[in-house]
Amino acid sequence: MPDAASRPSPAADGDLVARAAQGEERAIGTLYDRYGTVLYAVAYRIVGQRADAEEVVLEAFAQAWRDAPRFEAGRGSVAGWLTMIARSRALDLVRARGRRDRITASAAADRPETPPAMGEFRPDPGDALDHDERRRQVRQALETLSPPQRQAIELAYFEGLSQSEIAERLEEPLGTVKTRVRLGMQKLRECLRPFYFERGT
Amino acid sequence: MTGPAQDSPQDLAAAYALGALPADEARRFEAFLASSPEAQREVQEYREVAALLALAGPESAAPSSLPADLRDRVLARVAAQKARTLPAAARATAGRPSSAVWVALAASLLLAVGLGAGLVSARGKLAAVETELTARNSALAQATQKLSEREATLHSILEPGVQMFQLTSSGDPEPGIQLFWNRQRHEAIVHGFRLKPVPAGKAYQLWFIKDGAPVPSITFKPEADGDAQVQGIPVPEGGSLSAAAITVEPEGGSAQPTSPILMVGTLKQS
Repeated sequence: MPDAASRPSPAADGDLVARAAQGEERAIGTLYDRYGTVLYAVAYRIVGQRADAEEVVLEAFAQAWRDAPRFEAGRGSVAGWLTMIARSRALDLVRARGRRDRITASAAADRPETPPAMGEFRPDPGDALDHDERRRQVRQALETLSPPQRQAIELAYFEGLSQSEIAERLEEPLGTVKTRVRLGMQKLRECLRPFYFERGT
Repeated sequence: MTGPAQDSPQDLAAAYALGALPADEARRFEAFLASSPEAQREVQEYREVAALLALAGPESAAPSSLPADLRDRVLARVAAQKARTLPAAARATAGRPSSAVWVALAASLLLAVGLGAGLVSARGKLAAVETELTARNSALAQATQKLSEREATLHSILEPGVQMFQLTSSGDPEPGIQLFWNRQRHEAIVHGFRLKPVPAGKAYQLWFIKDGAPVPSITFKPEADGDAQVQGIPVPEGGSLSAAAITVEPEGGSAQPTSPILMVGTLKQS
């Protein structure tokens, strides 16, 4: 990419985590610029409303700050690590909300889902383009799965269900669900390998 | 039912990375993972796939809809957390005024005064006003931060499902620790009091006793008055937590306790 070459080379994600581990808050700011949209996307998909999705993003970066000293670059990309944190926090929130809602039968009316007045968000333009391209690729890759494969993977990832819970929900044999998850993930891996986020190292 | 013994590690890697294994099965797989670089690579790849799934969200979550102030709020929360977990270090930076509002206010003041007649003397006054403003700003920022921290703490303690446990010890005065365990969030807040200062290079470390073995948690140092408070402590999930304990360890924390248990409390599973 000629564009990337003309820019000063940015700090590697792994270095940013290391700097956060040493107490540098700005490093979290840069990680937010790179992956804030990704974390927000997964949070929103799981919790389904803006205010909660924002809270998840806040909690996820706060946890990343706390956990930074324990981040192991060899175990995967920073983006993978961050999204897993956001996913867990979002699922926690949904579970907590489920309990709360059962208690207060009339859940408070959620904010209407009209787009709120937003300021201009300025991520690194290069990153934004990358994410848009990745988003397209992910959608295309998901299209290649059979609907049951896609459903099993989405139930696991976005609803936090284990394979046996998925089997129960769909009233399918556990073995069938396991096969769907495995084959679906293999197919996604083949399609998406060129589009992985930056490595942690 | 298909038992886990019949699943090959390759089969499990995808489900594990996706978070679709139940806790006990995930733990067994992790034990295997430690000994298999091949499975580690496999999991690593599937984690990348899972991370990309994050982008499969709806259009309404596209980048342009991120609130403009979210970045500042992220940084503010990190800063507040830093102030809580590193009391000594925080004091050095907490006073730094960072609010854009104050900068704008100062700028508008500059403009208003600049338009006046007595420009030279006004500049002197302006400098004084600005100094005063900076001082008040930093005092205000500190007070606001303290207040919001306390509110947040109160809020998290009052959440449903939060239970308090006491970690005790003998001594005069008697130190103590209250551990507020939020089972829904798998988080805990620790509030310590009458804690003795730790020697240089050392810190208190919290341990969760899970399935009979100590799991290292956060380290912290008490304030000069013997108080300590740490929030957002991840509580290990899965397995059975029987107790929490405190030891004195090197500042960076230890993987296994290296000193006798100072305080301990039972965590009853309700």
